[in-house]
Amino acid sequence: METSGNLIQVKHLKKHYNQGTIHALDDVSVDVNKGDVIAVIGPSGSGKSTLLRSLNLLEKPDEGEIIFHGIDISKKTFINKAGKKEKVNINLHREKMGMVFQHFNLFPHKTILDNMTLAPIQVKHMPKAQAEEKARTLLSRVGLGDRAEAYPIQLSGGQKQRVAIVRALMMEPEVMLFDEPTSALDPEMVGEVLEVMKELAQGGMTMVVVTHEMGFAKEVGSRVLFMADGKLLEQGTPEDIFDHPQNPRLQDFLSKVL
Amino acid sequence: MLSVQGFQKILPYMSLFWQGMLCTLSLSAFTVIFGFILALLLSLMRMSRVKLLKAIATIYVEVIRATPMMVQLFLVYYVVMAPVSLPTWKLFGFIRFERFVPGVVALSLNSGAYLSEIIRSGIQSIDIGQTEAARSLGLTQGQNMRFIILPQAIKNILPAIANEFVTIIKESSICWTVGVQEIMSAVNSVKAATYTIAEALIVASCIYFCLTFPTSKIIQYFERRMRRGDVR
Repeated sequence: METSGNLIQVKHLKKHYNQGTIHALDDVSVDVNKGDVIAVIGPSGSGKSTLLRSLNLLEKPDEGEIIFHGIDISKKTFINKAGKKEKVNINLHREKMGMVFQHFNLFPHKTILDNMTLAPIQVKHMPKAQAEEKARTLLSRVGLGDRAEAYPIQLSGGQKQRVAIVRALMMEPEVMLFDEPTSALDPEMVGEVLEVMKELAQGGMTMVVVTHEMGFAKEVGSRVLFMADGKLLEQGTPEDIFDHPQNPRLQDFLSKVL
Repeated sequence: MLSVQGFQKILPYMSLFWQGMLCTLSLSAFTVIFGFILALLLSLMRMSRVKLLKAIATIYVEVIRATPMMVQLFLVYYVVMAPVSLPTWKLFGFIRFERFVPGVVALSLNSGAYLSEIIRSGIQSIDIGQTEAARSLGLTQGQNMRFIILPQAIKNILPAIANEFVTIIKESSICWTVGVQEIMSAVNSVKAATYTIAEALIVASCIYFCLTFPTSKIIQYFERRMRRGDVR
């Protein structure tokens, strides 16, 4: 069932709101391969964020499968190698998927350092000193080496988002999920965050990015997905999507945003 | 009315007031501890996905809020705890254990309900994004509560908690009706022995003030300290 290179397989994912009248996700299937940088684009309300948030079960799909490491994590139980029924421990899988949010969601009562070291210490039982050293290394890599003791409120939006990215990296995830990471930023701060994401992509990180930054999708994306009305209408390389769009909805969308 | 002679008359009974204060303090301290534990439990039950737990907690809170404190105290003392024979220990050598315990139980049951509403509103005031961030990092629901939600929630609700603590100290005065030797019971004894009531009440008021005022001030201090991360 598990083919090499396949990290996450999404199969026929469906999600409804309001007794099934609104289809947030309408039969979406997509494979995320190792090293992929997938940009998900589309008008607002198209289900992009719902798809992304379903990948680590922040959003619970109504139907379909999300297969991660050979296990359908959208279900309560799975059959393990010994053939026995076992409970799906979603926390174990979330550890391996870093997530970056539109509104950063840093913990305001903790310093930057504590924001970053909390999960490694509590979840992975990493020694405090080791976690702090790792955090400081990551912070200086994104140009924030001197802000370790600061509180989130003292940082600019762009700085907060860079911290949020390295906070997720602390857990050494296999895939990073970005939910409109630059949408809440002032325009002059978008660049610094995209720069960090670009470096991450060049370093071989598997990424799924919901974004309105078409430039980023074009330049960094290895694959672009176009969604509308909860459906995955078109996918392909950035050239396919931006230079030779097939679906009229995509053509219409691109004419408005480019 | 008030007179110097009146105060002179109650002067020999000052040790009664001292004992009363000790008793009120211990009554309040135990109530705060047990009330808080109960409140945490109740607020988690009210936010639980299990409908039965939610219903039990909701009904409990509503019943407590809709009935007088004195009825609750009498129910605990004369009905619920009546069959329980408590050991006749004496705390600090004078507080009668078998009367003190029902007092603590009744006060805790009462303040637990009020505190749980405060805690619940505090928890629900925290942005859902905090939970999402914590869970996406692999933290369990329990760890999320302990490290992320509760520290922020408690900071937000500290003024309301302080208010509730002060209320507990004042409400504990009702316990003299079941024979707990707290401050109001001292007033009563002094009245019986000396036929002075006004002066005794003045002394009692002063003691209550000396207990409640510093309590709210101390909590205000902690509140300021916890705001470190907010403004700079």
